[in-house]
Amino acid sequence: MYLLEVKNLKKVYTTRFGGNAVKALNNVSFTVDEGEMIAIMGESGSGKTTLLNMIAALDKPTGGEVYLNGKNITVIGDKEISSFRRENLGFVFQDFNLLDTFSIQDNIFLPLVLAGTPYEEMNKRLTSVAKRLRITDLLSKYPYEVSGGEKQRTAVARALITHPKLILADEPTGSLDSRSSDELLKLFNEINNDGQTILMVTHSVKAASHAKKVLFIKDGEVFHRIYKGDCTNEEMYQKISDTLTLIATGGVRNE
Amino acid sequence: MSKTFFYLKLAVNNLKKNSKAYVPYIITCIGTIIMFYNMCFLASAKTLGLISDDGSLKMILTFGTVVIGIFSAIFLFYTNSFLVKKRKKEFGLFNILGMEKKHIAKIMFWETVLTGAISLSAGLAGGILLSKAMILLLFKIIAIRVTFGFEVPTLAVVITPVLFGAIFAINFIYNSLTVRLSKPVELLKGGNVGEKEPKTKLFQGIVGLLSLSAGYYIALFTESPLQALTLFFIAVILVMIGTYCLFTSGSIAVLKLLRKNKNYYYKPKNFISVSSMIYRMKRNAAGLANICILSTAVIVMLSSTVSLYIGVEDVLRTRYPRDITVGSSFISDENVEKMNKIIEDTTDSLGIERRNVLNYRYLTVVAFQEDSRFQLQGDSLRFKDSAALFFMDIDGYNKMYNANKTLEENEVLLYEYRGRLPGDSMTIEDLQLRIKERVPAFEGDGNTSAMMINSFYLVARKDDLQKIIRVSDPDNTKGKDLAYFYGFDVNADKQTQIQLATEIRKGLKELGISYYADGADLSRESFYTLYGGLFYLGIFLGLLFIMATDLINNYKQIAEGYDDKERYEIMQKVGMSREEVRKSINSQVIKVFFLPLLAAVIHIAFAFKVITKLLEIFNLTNVPLFALCTLSTILIFSVFYVAVYTLTAKTYYKIVKG
Repeated sequence: MYLLEVKNLKKVYTTRFGGNAVKALNNVSFTVDEGEMIAIMGESGSGKTTLLNMIAALDKPTGGEVYLNGKNITVIGDKEISSFRRENLGFVFQDFNLLDTFSIQDNIFLPLVLAGTPYEEMNKRLTSVAKRLRITDLLSKYPYEVSGGEKQRTAVARALITHPKLILADEPTGSLDSRSSDELLKLFNEINNDGQTILMVTHSVKAASHAKKVLFIKDGEVFHRIYKGDCTNEEMYQKISDTLTLIATGGVRNE
Repeated sequence: MSKTFFYLKLAVNNLKKNSKAYVPYIITCIGTIIMFYNMCFLASAKTLGLISDDGSLKMILTFGTVVIGIFSAIFLFYTNSFLVKKRKKEFGLFNILGMEKKHIAKIMFWETVLTGAISLSAGLAGGILLSKAMILLLFKIIAIRVTFGFEVPTLAVVITPVLFGAIFAINFIYNSLTVRLSKPVELLKGGNVGEKEPKTKLFQGIVGLLSLSAGYYIALFTESPLQALTLFFIAVILVMIGTYCLFTSGSIAVLKLLRKNKNYYYKPKNFISVSSMIYRMKRNAAGLANICILSTAVIVMLSSTVSLYIGVEDVLRTRYPRDITVGSSFISDENVEKMNKIIEDTTDSLGIERRNVLNYRYLTVVAFQEDSRFQLQGDSLRFKDSAALFFMDIDGYNKMYNANKTLEENEVLLYEYRGRLPGDSMTIEDLQLRIKERVPAFEGDGNTSAMMINSFYLVARKDDLQKIIRVSDPDNTKGKDLAYFYGFDVNADKQTQIQLATEIRKGLKELGISYYADGADLSRESFYTLYGGLFYLGIFLGLLFIMATDLINNYKQIAEGYDDKERYEIMQKVGMSREEVRKSINSQVIKVFFLPLLAAVIHIAFAFKVITKLLEIFNLTNVPLFALCTLSTILIFSVFYVAVYTLTAKTYYKIVKG
């Protein structure tokens, strides 16, 4: 069984007064195995974020299904959806989405508190997660007192602390400088090596080159996919670049 | 010229673009100006003098005007500072696009001029209209002859623009300084810069606690009404300082303490509300303190004026124990007989029956009290130690109560009407009197109730009363004698009663002694004018303040909503359900909303006693009535409050939901 299975996913946006219908996603299908790290690439407006929103159950698809651990998440009711998301998914966003009113520690605690975890348990988990992400010294600080890289590591810690089945990262390096990006990607590889499944949406070639599988989306459809296999990050980087060039220059389908 | 026009046009455009933020701001300004103008109007209206010519009313209103002025300044300053913070990004963009800071200041100047002009003209017009509309409305509601009406006091029209012009000027200076002192990059980031967690201000908290306790102490332990009158203002100011300090620092300290308690804090229900309340209090404490003080003022004003108005009959009874009261402050035994005859003949000739006849000889002495010693001479400024001794002769007492008490020489019966007289003996100068018995309340001349000092009712033998006269005036140069009171109820209409009192006066005039003859009905009208006027004033101010509090509250919450929107979006992404969001919002809005009301009710509970003392000055001694009025005022006020809450919570949720 796949950890995540996306089947013929479709999403059509219609403007409010029934005007033009825009196909954001058209028949997207792919699978993610447990312990995999997969990157979804595409240009702005290609439908990456829409896809991520469907997988995160933040939005309902027009057609098709998304299975997480065999469970169809597109049919989960409104009441359970939040706790489902809390228990199974971890999020890392481009703009961190940390709350200013919470200290770093409390930001990490947030999903656990919402799940009603006792303090001792939370604290135990925090210690190990913080150590892994090298933010132990920052715990009592506030988001506005730390750097972008540190903020993103906090967000990763928040995603990890619930032991989610899948981490969804939306342009995780998008707001980071190159050093912080490298550090974060190394971190992603580390936690992936520990068995954590990660799905990342990005248009950074470098970020994608760290993934084991890269999916290219263009105009709402899966255009191409490449596997890292035994390639090094550098070789993967080259492969991705070539593909992107192909897409940008000649790779036009359905025309 | 064209340049000025350019900046003006830019300013207009800016206001239009930011209308979402500026419309509520301007409405708040207008509301505040309307309120201030109306306070000013009341304090400086000439016709107000007709309600009561004594200055205390004017003093209270002037005091109120000053307080409202301070409120307005603080409140508008806060509102403005948040507004400008939100717009930092915009100014940063102007700066980067090539505008110098002084040009930005120019735009800001025009913006301030525009908002100021709109607010002031609308506020003044609204204020004048409102003051007239309220008067018209109240004329309909309470059919009393309210004597003040349609004027537009010059003072109010001058002071209002001056004050608010100054507030706008200060805001402008603040705004241009914030822009001037920050780098373009800082401006660009502007609104997104994390807000620092507020510090616990220990000193401020202690000051608040101390002044609040001092205020409460005064309210609880002031016994004499006269002292209450002077100390009340001090207590009010202390409580106001206390409220401000405790709302601003105390609330944050409490929240931080809650946050330290891990088992409490890390519960889904408390986690979000405690942490965001800390910031919310930082931003709103001053506004909430305002609301608390205004609410307290509304409730106190309404409950006391309403109970005075309802209690007019009571008051009349206390002041005039009988329908017709006749008497003389010193009169010989011989003249007493003549007086009796005149009264009885007059009533008989008018065919009126005398009921509940009450007559006795008495003596009133004002002295300086020190425990059970009384001195007749002394520093007349030591008003608070003075006491009124009201002596009644034993025969009158026995007749009045069908009793046959006997007294030896130098023996008295005592009733403590107001104040304490410990021990079983008392001295007046060097005359020692033994207190034979403490008797239950007895009726006396209503004049005592109009006094605000300690008062004791005593019963003594007539010869002892003469002794007391001699003590007070050894040579009897002034020809002093005992006083006389004759009161009775009649079963006649108002016209006849007035006729009777007039006739009796005519008869007594021929006796050539000092005398008085009053009918309760004669005074009723003047009582109604006074208390009706106060009642009217209470309702006027009450409505004004209710509107003001609602306006402030509503504005604050809506402003908050825009701030919180983003935060709730994040929380939903991290796994908070809509239901949880709604619950969390509700719990916070409830706290922010009802904290001031709760504090106001506590203030009133503490103030209750001192207010009853103050009401005694107005002759109202009916404490249960006042309690009832207070309770119902709180209830009615809460209904308004809850209505606004429901409305606000709905809008707030809508904003947050997006």
